[in-house]
Amino acid sequence: MEKSPSFDEGTVARFVERAEAVATKVTRVADGAAAEKLAAEMLAAEGSEHVGVVRVAKGIADTGTCVVVTDDEETRLKTMLPETTVFILKAEDIVPHLADIAPFLRSRQADGRVSYTSFISGPSRTADIERVSAIGVHGPLAVHVILQEG
Amino acid sequence: MPHESPRSARAYHRQIEEALNDSFQRRTLDKFAVEYRASRDKVFEEVDGRELIRRIADVKDAAAQHIEELYAQFKTEAEKRGVVVHRAADAAEAREIIAKIAAENGVKSIVKSKCMTSEEIGLNAHLRAQGLDVCETDLGEWIIQLRNEGPSHMVLPAIHLSRQQVAEDFERVTGEKQDREDVQRLVKVARRELRPKFEAADMGISGANFCIAETGSIAIVTNEGNGRLVNTLPRVHVALTGLDKLVPKIDDALTALQVLPRNATSQRLTSYVTFIDGAGPCAKSPTGRKMLHIVLLDNGRTKAAKDPLFSQVFRCVRCGACANVCPVFRLVGGHRMGHVYIGAIGLVLTYLFHDRQIAKTLCQNCIGCGSCKDICSGGIDLPALIQEIRARFGREDGSPLPAKLASLAMKNRKLFHTLLRFANFSHRPFAGSDGFVRHLPMVLFGKQGFKSLPSLAKKPFRDMWPELQKGAGQDAGKPKLKIALFAGCAQDFAYPQQLVAAMKVFAAAGVEVSFPMEQTCCGLPLTMLGESKTAADVARQNVAAFAGEYDAIVTLCASCASHLKHGYARLLGDDAAAAAFSAKVMDFSSFVHDKLGLDSAVVAHGNEKVAYHASCHLCRELGVKEAPRALIRQVAEYVPSAEEESCCGFGGTFSAKFPEISAELMRKKLAHVTESGAKRLVLDCPGCAMQLKGGADKLGLDLKVTHISELLADNLRDAK
Ligand code: SF4
Repeated sequence: MEKSPSFDEGTVARFVERAEAVATKVTRVADGAAAEKLAAEMLAAEGSEHVGVVRVAKGIADTGTCVVVTDDEETRLKTMLPETTVFILKAEDIVPHLADIAPFLRSRQADGRVSYTSFISGPSRTADIERVSAIGVHGPLAVHVILQEG
Repeated sequence: MPHESPRSARAYHRQIEEALNDSFQRRTLDKFAVEYRASRDKVFEEVDGRELIRRIADVKDAAAQHIEELYAQFKTEAEKRGVVVHRAADAAEAREIIAKIAAENGVKSIVKSKCMTSEEIGLNAHLRAQGLDVCETDLGEWIIQLRNEGPSHMVLPAIHLSRQQVAEDFERVTGEKQDREDVQRLVKVARRELRPKFEAADMGISGANFCIAETGSIAIVTNEGNGRLVNTLPRVHVALTGLDKLVPKIDDALTALQVLPRNATSQRLTSYVTFIDGAGPCAKSPTGRKMLHIVLLDNGRTKAAKDPLFSQVFRCVRCGACANVCPVFRLVGGHRMGHVYIGAIGLVLTYLFHDRQIAKTLCQNCIGCGSCKDICSGGIDLPALIQEIRARFGREDGSPLPAKLASLAMKNRKLFHTLLRFANFSHRPFAGSDGFVRHLPMVLFGKQGFKSLPSLAKKPFRDMWPELQKGAGQDAGKPKLKIALFAGCAQDFAYPQQLVAAMKVFAAAGVEVSFPMEQTCCGLPLTMLGESKTAADVARQNVAAFAGEYDAIVTLCASCASHLKHGYARLLGDDAAAAAFSAKVMDFSSFVHDKLGLDSAVVAHGNEKVAYHASCHLCRELGVKEAPRALIRQVAEYVPSAEEESCCGFGGTFSAKFPEISAELMRKKLAHVTESGAKRLVLDCPGCAMQLKGGADKLGLDLKVTHISELLADNLRDAK
């Protein structure tokens, strides 16, 4: 018997469309093992100086955003210094709208908790010279999301 | 170091002249204005922008009223999480606090991410004077730092510079040849040059877009990623921001985040939004924890919060949109449209936070087109705020002579109308047979010579009335509707033919018209001059004059209409008679199209190619967009032209105060119309008519400029 998917395809499709609209590359894979395998290959190909692999806590469909728990500096730097960031995101963790992320943020901040949460939507960009859009000014030049369906 | 801001009208005009000759900036800002509109509209299609803006306004209005509670809650929550929260009464105190943090932590070098508040307090210069190395890392901010300039836009600080200028600066700092054309490569230079700065810095200074009271967290909105490096790599992080950034809840920040990036850069969300809650782990810090200080600046904010009108500035999220759509900014650039903050909000904040004399000079340079109010992320009534600043200067420093004279004359309708008749008489010897004054020695006008000015009509409308009245709507039997006509000075005394045309349309459509003789100027020019007391007197006179039973009070002047409809409530407060009056006021196009309706028995369809100019007061203040275009389509071939809703440059007294700007706006408008191939341009406002008719005449264009009433009258079946 086929298991019914734990995510809403409409929401996931919107996430993919909007993430791609901000120059994020999205690859859909079947499960956790496939995601780990693909990430490991990407890391091996370029080396950890050039690729940072990070798990994503939540996705936001409307904005194509990865919401990343970056409390510790090491994880944070992995999304800042290398030229490529590889995110692993579970399809079931995608919420439809920006406003829907409030409970998650609150759970991380309430009761005196100390936290650092990063919303990342595509690579680093600027339009500061003649309004010409340029990618990768201080942060990554490429963002790759491995979207894990199962 | 900020640019030199003007302290006198003279200095200001000199700077404006220079800016108008900066062809690179002109081209850049023209392109920006057009592209911004298009991309912004597109990214708003998928959200309910008006509703979001209303919610931001509500939250921020409430925050302004509860600023002390919010501050206390924020401080408690942040301190629970290891943050030190400071409150600075003014710029000097904020500078001191930050310098002290640097000293106490043995800081030598500082990296900064974008922070307008630090510009507000002149932070960099102060820290450098203490021997600290301070480096801006936002690309645009870094570029202007290299040039020792201030930002010319809140979001795009270096928008006034060309890639070649940037390349030259980069050559200077790197000592290497740079590609002068390739922007992508120039961007990489910044990446390469600044990385070591981040690594070496002891302290990072950032701004904060939101301070969330419920959890003591801050949110920082960026695109380049430098902000995250600034608050991560150094052991000390100082976030400097204004008290106006306090909001009660996480949800409030998320609401504003649906508008801020859309309005600022036409993005659904910026590349990065960072929520920092408390002092987290930090390897470089001796304690193992980040030394996180949050400095909240007052500098006039709590005073503004108590002001019923100016408390609106709390709604500002610094999106920069009010500059993006400002026709004056587009011409003169940010260095001439603000002191530290840029655009409409820049004028207001210069008054609230900075220098009185500079504010007084800059605040004159608002044409009142309402584009900023229409686009603002917080729905701030920016033109009204700027207006009020002028009025306050008028009250505090004494009105300038012209305002005083106008005020004196207009208090008394008879005197005012006599003066207008006298003006007519004195013009007469110079008037051409086509109704333009061409031969007045130009020395009398100074820079006003960019357009032909109308001579006043031989006979004002009010003198024609007894004649006209005889035919007014009587042959049609029982009238369909009964209206009262509000003429407005410009039509009554300069363009009565626009009203006469309307009378023909009314007669053909069976409308009974009254013209109360006691009516006078709507009073808008007085409000614009800051003479609010006389403006209220004049308003009361008009309300009394129109006390009869009418289906509508119709005016052919969009500016009068918007003032009669919205301005009177502001001037007269809860006055039942005034409210009833305002409710009945309709602009001509809306009345004819929405209420009356013209059927094909009344008007015919001609083949004339007609373009439309949407007057600011009609399309934005009154929100009337469809009615005039539908009327044109009914009688002619409507040809759309570029930027139909952009200001013609008239702006009442503005065109006299800033003729150089007014002339440019007029030329642009007429160029768009000419490109459309139209042979006639119609509009809904005698002010715009004065500007564009006069301009078309001066430029010798083959273009007829008329009121929409004249277009309709020309296409009445009877007239054909
Ligand atoms: S005043 Fe409004 S439009 Fe201008 S920067 Fe502030 S929020 Fe944006």
